[in-house]
Amino acid sequence: MGQFIQFAINGLMSGAIYALIAVGIVSVYKATKVVNFAHGYLIMFGAYFYYTFSVVVPGQEWAPAWLASWQPGWMVVMRADLQMFSPMGAVLDWLANLPRITLGIIGALICNAIVGRIIERVLMRPLMGQSVFAMIMVTVGLISIMSGGAQLIWTADAGFVPHIAPNTPIRFELFGTMIFLFGADLVNMLIALIMFGAIVAFVKFTKGGIAIRATAEDQSTAYSMGISVPKVFSRAWVLASTTGAIAGAILATRNGISPSLGLFGFSVLAIVLMGGLDSYVGVFIAAMAVGVLEAMTQWKMGGDWAEIVPYVMVLFVLVWRPHGLFGQKEVERI
Amino acid sequence: MINANLKSSYAADERVLNNRYKQMFVYGMLLLLALFTFFANDYAILIASRMGILLIAVVGLNVLTGYTGQVSLGHGAFVAIGAYGVTIFDNVLAGSVPAGIMPIVAMPLAVALAALIGVLVGLPSLRVKGLYLAVATLAANFIVIFLIEQDAFARWTGGMVGLTTNSPNFFGWVLDTKREMFGMIAVIGFIALLAAQNLIRTRIGRAFIAIRDRDYSAEILGISLLRYKLTSFAISAAYCGLAGALFAYFFARILPEQFELALSLNLVAALIIGGMGRTMGPVFGVIVVVLVPELIKTLFGALAGDTAGVGQLRAPLQEIAFGVLLVLFLLKEPLGINQIVDRILRAANRWPFARG
Repeated sequence: MGQFIQFAINGLMSGAIYALIAVGIVSVYKATKVVNFAHGYLIMFGAYFYYTFSVVVPGQEWAPAWLASWQPGWMVVMRADLQMFSPMGAVLDWLANLPRITLGIIGALICNAIVGRIIERVLMRPLMGQSVFAMIMVTVGLISIMSGGAQLIWTADAGFVPHIAPNTPIRFELFGTMIFLFGADLVNMLIALIMFGAIVAFVKFTKGGIAIRATAEDQSTAYSMGISVPKVFSRAWVLASTTGAIAGAILATRNGISPSLGLFGFSVLAIVLMGGLDSYVGVFIAAMAVGVLEAMTQWKMGGDWAEIVPYVMVLFVLVWRPHGLFGQKEVERI
Repeated sequence: MINANLKSSYAADERVLNNRYKQMFVYGMLLLLALFTFFANDYAILIASRMGILLIAVVGLNVLTGYTGQVSLGHGAFVAIGAYGVTIFDNVLAGSVPAGIMPIVAMPLAVALAALIGVLVGLPSLRVKGLYLAVATLAANFIVIFLIEQDAFARWTGGMVGLTTNSPNFFGWVLDTKREMFGMIAVIGFIALLAAQNLIRTRIGRAFIAIRDRDYSAEILGISLLRYKLTSFAISAAYCGLAGALFAYFFARILPEQFELALSLNLVAALIIGGMGRTMGPVFGVIVVVLVPELIKTLFGALAGDTAGVGQLRAPLQEIAFGVLLVLFLLKEPLGINQIVDRILRAANRWPFARG
């Protein structure tokens, strides 16, 4: 039972991150009817940008010293009388890293937003009104361009990146068993959940969000009601690429940075289809379910079986419910 | 009046090569191919063999995506099944079947296995289509490669280390040079292309095209979606299995990572660049998809020699070029190179009267 709870919590934590990534794919689909196969590579770019601004830039000679490691007087004093491995030590480590973490996240957000804008403007807009197949295949082509581009820009193997939150170990008892967590994972989950909620609220309540939903409903009607559809497109892409930047930064701290981060996007694509392409609720449920099931698989069958869990699940769900758990059935005319 | 196209019988109208320019084009290409087999150098033979193997797989994908309209991003898995199938049958049957007819036994078995699994993977296509099918096939690709890599099956598949394959032996004639092997690939590739071309002129092929154009309408016309969609999946998987079997015979070693998503995307890209739903589309597409990375490699070699720093740049550039080609064709010429060639052949046929 104790083991079960431990793995369930681990699963929920990775599920939240899946949900955060999935929200990018859903937003783009809702606004533009394009399923972005290259979203994983957008995340990879986010991770690399985070690495660039939090590790490479502070490491340069021209960067001020406080950027790499912030050591005000009071922190040195506090650190001096701490014991080894005390939770406060981890918090102080995090505080020392805070300037470069902030720079990293801001840099990743801005750069990824620019990348998203460029993709939308150069590749997606000329295809407006073309077949869905062509649009999907363009994102497939984008996979090669982005993965090649990342290898060109960031040739060296990327190293360690600072955690976004203080990484104190947390132990507590639940139903008579010890549960062991890392503070950073918990904060990552909170960030993911808050961002997910914020985006759902944005789409539901703000004017820009209503424009996205109207475009999703009917493009030409939205156009004739005075909504600028190209603007909606670029807004959706920026939304996707910025959430991707945060997700990338989180993934970089969890699993390290490598070109294989891009493959992550495919399992999230499976999750999105499972939940239903245009349903935030469905995608959230599917992401959590996959996260928990992956953790259970890891527990019972070993780590490498966990990686095909989303793919097996999506096959079953699609055969059972062709439009995902909560997806809208398309009505077709003959 | 365009009098070069006068036909005096239905048979003449139904011919595959229905005018002299097409005939000249195809026969000329065949002659060049024959000369190539005997006189090309080893490097050219290697490249051409890779093209031939890829061509057979793309022709298979064309049956499914181009003619039946079912998107698949998982055909690399069928190539893997063909490659592993032929090697495993080769090893398992080693005692009971004489070596001289082994390829004739093992290859059809591997192709049949691929077709069978193709039907299995095609099952979701009865419920879902378009994008959902693309992701379902993608998932199938990941699962197949994952299972091949598992330790549990390593006794047969070799796990992560892969398998070593034998040279094919036809009645005592062992094809142990790349040139002999290319001969086999070229002959099989030509037959495969011809078979695909003729397939779409039959009742089955017309049913495929009806399904592509509108599946509900096709069903109303009395075409069984269950039967024809699965047939299409089986045929295209069989083609890919054949390509995989040739792959296994040609390269001495097969590894699971050779059949991952990259291969599936390569197949789709070749099909789109060449032209979907056209017989010659795969041929042009494969030539571009194989030649462009090689050209980049040669250019790089000529420009900068073999320094390590340059080598690091080459692979990403090849990848980018591949993506850019795919995107450019989708944006500028969605019907592919075949359309361009068609335009030229048509102009030649009508010369000097009309162009385009």
